[in-house]
Parts: sequence; structure tokens; C-alpha cells
Amino acid sequence: MRGELDKQAPETKAVIAQHELAPAEYSDPVIEAYKKDVDRTLLRENLKLTVEERFVKFEQFWKYAQALREAGRKSRQTE
Amino acid sequence: MAPNFSAILPLLVRSDVQFIVIGGGAALAHGSARLTYDVDVVYARDPENLRRLAGALQPYQPYLRGAPPGLPFRWDERTLKSGLNFTLTTTLGDLDLLGEVAGGGFFEQLLPFTQEMETFGVRCRFVTLEKLIQLKRAAGRPKDLEVIAELQALLEERRRGASTGA
Repeated sequence: MRGELDKQAPETKAVIAQHELAPAEYSDPVIEAYKKDVDRTLLRENLKLTVEERFVKFEQFWKYAQALREAGRKSRQTE
Repeated sequence: MAPNFSAILPLLVRSDVQFIVIGGGAALAHGSARLTYDVDVVYARDPENLRRLAGALQPYQPYLRGAPPGLPFRWDERTLKSGLNFTLTTTLGDLDLLGEVAGGGFFEQLLPFTQEMETFGVRCRFVTLEKLIQLKRAAGRPKDLEVIAELQALLEERRRGASTGA
């Protein structure tokens, strides 16, 4: 069994290396399946922003999410 | 603690640290709408850069993320030299310092696949969208499949915008 795996190893490594270095556009059925669920309207909105605006938007959202989390925690404590 | 790009990136640039933003931070810079939990950077390993990096973060109490408190962890140039990849907490937020990244190698190897972008008053180096997709693929984590799908969609949107002049 081990000998058989050793024989296959170079081929497997070659496949992995090829996969790792595939061009960015390379896709496969799994990625394509996930791509159907990507909300492109969000991406289009982000692409209209500057890089700094994208970071600011993200950090503001994070703060909002944390505030919600904290409120949820306090609410559970008082129940 | 939230990833604090607005504090960490200007700090590193103004301290003359040689680094490249990768991971969720680079994805955000390119227009991703996904959440990320830390700032990931690949840093140069030359002695001068290690000295600058150690000095820049020193005031912000870097400590090993997830490690029990009270370990004899000393943040200095020597520690940086002895290790390679560090997942840190700091008073500024979580920061991952990577000496090497799967699919991208060391700082010098990744450098040709970067672009400078201006943010928070500094010019910062980010890995290109194309290379970021390759890095995510090389990481080989199931959770990255969704990320790759979004990054490829971004690439398509960007190219569509370029072709239509939008």
C-alpha cells in the first residue's frame, strides 16, 4: 500500500503544484457553484469607493456588529 | 478585537517597515464585501526590517494570540529573527506577521505581485487581486472556497468595468 502511494506521490504533487499556480481566472465547478451566491451588487458598490472608504466602511460595520453582539450578551444576562 | 487597518497600516508605513498586506485586508482593498478578523502582512526578514518592525509594535504590547497570559514572551528583534510567522494580539488589534506564505513565498518573492494604494494618508503595498486568488487557492482551506468565488467575481466585475469604461 505504502509503495503504491509512494509511486503516485510525484504525480499527486505535480497536480497540487499545477492547481496552486493556476491563473487567477482558473475556475472549477465548486468555485462556480459558490460564485452563483456572490452578491455582485455589494461588490459593484464597493468598487465605486476609494480604498480608504472601503476600509472605513468595514471598520464601521465591525463596530456596529460588536455593539449588537454586546447588546445581545447583556440581554441574555438580564433574562 | 476588530482588525484596525486605520491604525496599523499607517504605523507600519511611517516606521519604514517593509511589508505587504495579504489576506482579508488585501481583499477589502480590492473591493471585497467579506468580514475579516485580523490584519495579515508578509514582512521582509532582513535585520534592519526586523529592528523597525520590533520597534514599531513595541508600544502596543504584542503578545501571542490565544496563548495563556503570563508566558515569558519577549517582543524584540531577536524573537522575530528566531521565529517566522506570528499571530499576535496588540492594543491596536489582531495582527498576523508572516515571514512566508503558502503560494507566495517570502517578501521578496511576493513583491513583484503587489501594487501600491493610498489609504489613511500613506502609500501601502497590497498583493494584487490575481495573486491573492492564487494565495487563497494555495492555502487549501475549505473556508476559502467562498472567498475565492467572491475574489473571482470581483476580478470579473473589475474587467467588465474596465471594458465598459464604468
